[in-house]
Amino acid sequence: MTDTRRLILDRLRKHAIAGDTSYPAYSHPHAGISDLLRSFQSVIESVGGECRYVADLEAARKVVSGSEILTAAKTICSHVKEVAEGNFDAEAKADARQCADVDLTIVRGELGVAENGAVWVNADPLRHRALLFLSENLILVIEGRDIVPDMESAYARIDFTRLRSGYFISGPSKTADIEQCLVIGAHGAKSVLVLVVG
Amino acid sequence: MKSHARLAAAFLKQEERAHWHDQALWYVREKRDRMAASVPDWEALRETAQAIKRHALANLPRYLEEFEQNAAARGAIVHYALDAAEHNRIVLEILKRRDARLVAKSKSMLSEECGLNEFLERNGVEVVETDLAERIIQLAGERPSHIVLPSIHIRKEEVGAIFHEHLGTERGESDPTRLTRAARTHLREKFLAAEAGISGVNFAVAETGAVVICTNEGNADLGNSLPDLYIAVMGVEKVIPKSRDLGVFLRLLSRSATGQPISAYTSHLLGPRPGQEMHIVIVDNGRSEILQRERFYKAAFCIRCGACLNTCPVYRRSGGHSYNYVIPGPIGTILAMHRDLKKYKDMPYASTLCGSCTAVCPVKIDIHRQIVLWRNEVVEAGHLGRAKSAALKTATLGMKRTRLFRMGGWTVRKLLRSLPSFVFNNRLTIWGRSRDLPKMPAQSFRAEYRAHSKSKTNLSESGLNREGRS
Repeated sequence: MTDTRRLILDRLRKHAIAGDTSYPAYSHPHAGISDLLRSFQSVIESVGGECRYVADLEAARKVVSGSEILTAAKTICSHVKEVAEGNFDAEAKADARQCADVDLTIVRGELGVAENGAVWVNADPLRHRALLFLSENLILVIEGRDIVPDMESAYARIDFTRLRSGYFISGPSKTADIEQCLVIGAHGAKSVLVLVVG
Repeated sequence: MKSHARLAAAFLKQEERAHWHDQALWYVREKRDRMAASVPDWEALRETAQAIKRHALANLPRYLEEFEQNAAARGAIVHYALDAAEHNRIVLEILKRRDARLVAKSKSMLSEECGLNEFLERNGVEVVETDLAERIIQLAGERPSHIVLPSIHIRKEEVGAIFHEHLGTERGESDPTRLTRAARTHLREKFLAAEAGISGVNFAVAETGAVVICTNEGNADLGNSLPDLYIAVMGVEKVIPKSRDLGVFLRLLSRSATGQPISAYTSHLLGPRPGQEMHIVIVDNGRSEILQRERFYKAAFCIRCGACLNTCPVYRRSGGHSYNYVIPGPIGTILAMHRDLKKYKDMPYASTLCGSCTAVCPVKIDIHRQIVLWRNEVVEAGHLGRAKSAALKTATLGMKRTRLFRMGGWTVRKLLRSLPSFVFNNRLTIWGRSRDLPKMPAQSFRAEYRAHSKSKTNLSESGLNREGRS
């Protein structure tokens, strides 16, 4: 393996790339988004998700308790107790496969991106990161002040030094692999509700 | 091996299907255009993306080492593979050591390039493709016809028949939602039973050792989080310097690929999950050779978005399977030629050279220019074929001698008006098979030009300029 490694690196040193090969200085903010919150919401809706604005966690609780997702869910795993109690403790399970039948998972997101409706979820507080993808439905709770305009500002805020896994999640799981027909709910969540608090 | 022209002709015989294929891809291309137009700095982003690639690939040894160190510090085990065979061997060894017999695999063009699935199956490992399209073609026993939309050539009724046979869905079922649900249930079982997950990599960040994977279905995420063994396979060119560079590439990738603002899932994995063993296999397999070729190195900048396929008038009308290389279309052409000039000699000719590929490429690869240069290489290597060589030789002969050229022109103008069309549109004239001869002008361009210049001189001599004032 060390021989292969050295051989590959030596070959790569003999590249023919011409022109300016310095690291570029750049900044490309997504200008022109006048209302971050509204843009974030409309993009989420355009990718098949739902986004609601609530004044505080109490209001979030009301939205969730009245929603069909909650009433239809049998197994609920909540990591935001203020929003819903939940009845399934994924943290107590030794194996992620034991979370295969979770209907609804509620977790916090750290950032929202207005240009593409993506929510940054740091999965490190979860014992099983697979929960995010096994769960039939997903509710992501973020703070209104954590919505940034674009990916450039998002990455400027993410700290990778201790992170083990993090995900941008933009709407529900989807596929268009059969004749380009959009089908929501491929392998991951069939619905994603983003609650923006404050 | 049949040529692109022959395979394309067969594809076009099913007129309705060919038309559908063309329209489906054009629809994706239009979505891409709308997305590109909605980003204010789109062109500057493309420039920056190329500049980052140029920098990263010119300094690849340094960045690979940095990536390797950081990934290892996070607990991943990094391997290097010189070619496809070594890549396959390494993956098999890892699986064998952990006694993994069932693999949940996510889309990876690298593994297609290396023939990984066939190799593992031959060695007693069951590989289940988990991307819906990949699973469809795996069950159908085919290969992807597109790098992002692998089953774009298959109609829903055919998917229904395949699923009826393999997944037990009802006969005649062709509803995309119900078929997708059936696949979800079937593949969920596989995810839960798999002893290992394998996926490709979209970006590898040197600064952090992170592996970044983009999917819409969430299959890669289940495959890399559930099993206790996870193997990520990547080409050497996937390494980018910093996390912030992801902000540039992710903004371009999904918009260019499918016209989405971003994929549903963009996963950043820094080492294995607790209790998991994670391997990263870094593969050269000819990439260093591409980077060593002065006129062609930019082909290695590709981020595999597939935009050049969706826009290509030839790809849309001939289908991915009419290209013999594993990656079809414009980018497939300029990658295949590095692999085997003789074997893929027909690919540079499967192009109108319209330049649309170059215009949509998010990292600004000069694709159509490279295609022309590859035609040059094919001719230089003597692979053009007798008919085309003879035609070109005759043309060269005529074009080198003014008198011969004029005489030829005169003859053709006179003859074509009087000869019946079958003389040119017959089985022996390849050119005439799908083309009609143009109507012949009365005189040559030269004669017309001379007459035109003379009349202009007359006008100025009479004291009138073009506006008619004196």
